[in-house]
Amino acid sequence: MAEIRPAWSEQFEPGRLRPVAALGLPGPISREWAWGGATGAGVKVAVIDSGIEASHPAVGGVAGGVILEYSPDSPEADEEGIVATLGPHEDLYGHGTACAAIIKKVAPECELYSVRVLGKKLTGKGIVFAGGLQWAIANGMNVVNLSLSTSKQDYFALFHDIVDDAYFHNVMLVSAINNVPSPSYPSQYAGVFSVAAHEGKDPLGFDYNPSPPVEFGAPGIDLEVAWQQASFIEATGNSFAAPHIAGVVAKILSKHPGLTPFQMKTILAALATNANVGG
Amino acid sequence: MSDRSDDVLRELGQLAANVGPAITPARHLELLRSITSAAMSLFGAAACSLALFRENQEELEFYVASGEGADEVVGMRVPIGQGIAGFVVSSGQPIAIEDVSRDPRFAAAFAAGTGYIPRSILAMPLETEREMLGVIEVLDRRTRGGGLEGSGEMEMLSLFADQAALAIENSQVFSDLGRALFAAAGLVSADTELTQALEQVAATAPPPSAELAELAALFNRLALVGPDERRLATRIVAEVVAFLGARRWQR
Repeated sequence: MAEIRPAWSEQFEPGRLRPVAALGLPGPISREWAWGGATGAGVKVAVIDSGIEASHPAVGGVAGGVILEYSPDSPEADEEGIVATLGPHEDLYGHGTACAAIIKKVAPECELYSVRVLGKKLTGKGIVFAGGLQWAIANGMNVVNLSLSTSKQDYFALFHDIVDDAYFHNVMLVSAINNVPSPSYPSQYAGVFSVAAHEGKDPLGFDYNPSPPVEFGAPGIDLEVAWQQASFIEATGNSFAAPHIAGVVAKILSKHPGLTPFQMKTILAALATNANVGG
Repeated sequence: MSDRSDDVLRELGQLAANVGPAITPARHLELLRSITSAAMSLFGAAACSLALFRENQEELEFYVASGEGADEVVGMRVPIGQGIAGFVVSSGQPIAIEDVSRDPRFAAAFAAGTGYIPRSILAMPLETEREMLGVIEVLDRRTRGGGLEGSGEMEMLSLFADQAALAIENSQVFSDLGRALFAAAGLVSADTELTQALEQVAATAPPPSAELAELAALFNRLALVGPDERRLATRIVAEVVAFLGARRWQR
């Protein structure tokens, strides 16, 4: 009688299961083990935002970029109604530049990609955010910073699918949680690194919150951040906390390529300021 | 109904459809003003203003304001593709900036609009789970150092923003429905039944008036069918409402 196996179980048959590298975790996980000597080199980080001012002194160039716009009547639109324009572009507000500069401060040699999804009108905004995430997954990004969110419940399922897709592709999706008590997507899904601002200023200092949805706290209050036209301003927002975690993730990934999102969360939790270990 | 009362009804309908949007928001404006002045006094701020989307979804218009520069700021329009207000509604993220004058483009645009350049801005999206409506901004608050700074201030303003967003959404639904019904009343005549008039409004009005008029026309038709059909329709609508409620809780 042929052996009956439930679906998916064949992946675990002898000889089929792909060997994976052991994490090689030291006793207690230390900062030295996690990112000592690491610069973020070789790690692709997408900033899904308002664009990045590549010439800003705090950014130091970008590796690539794309503008995504909702324009369903255009002949160049894809089936979602999105038109993609590859190439250099400016930052509409300064916010994407702020996020990029924070990531570079933490992981100076990572490769930045600007995915501009904010634009001149609000129509189709959620579709374009989603398109930005899909672009990042399809183009081999390792880390994605998304300091944006939507509370519109129509997008609940769409974002859920994309976040799962990112997770299954080992794309580390770092998302700023909204400040308001109502739900915001995708920042409150379990598959993302959800970040809010804490009081600290140390770019490598972060907290782990064992009571999600928000899991990590990083600097985001009264920070000096890069802004449009080579300027700097002092600003507060959870949206500045997320790129700190994105930078730390990029830094760790450059030293330990191939980590999965749950392994990365384990390392971050172990190295959090409130975890009383590390060093 | 006599021809004369038909005429009066039609004229009243037309009048109401024309002036309705102007008079409906009166209490709503008062409420929004009370929100901006309460936020202003809580934060010890120089000014507080509230901007909403215009129909094209490409511009925000300052709708109510209290404090410094209030008269100049009301009615001011800003494209959403630039500036702090534009960023907040596009990204859905609140932001506080302490030294606005260091943002070269923004400071110039703001000063040109109101003649008053704030030092600091705290801006929060006005959003419900159904739509993004606009932004509330607090200028030059004096709570800094008073134990409310950082995320505490944002949490406080988000409570005001929630109230304002719900009030605005309610008022918009109410005035959209009112506008659709008044417009239909204006079309009723000896040759046009109410159902036809509502369908005509549904075919010509912009959404959401069109959708509400279509719904009203369907209900008007239902009133004319038998009790069994009405019961069936009630069950279907009840199921749809229950489904929407369930979807809401699935998040």
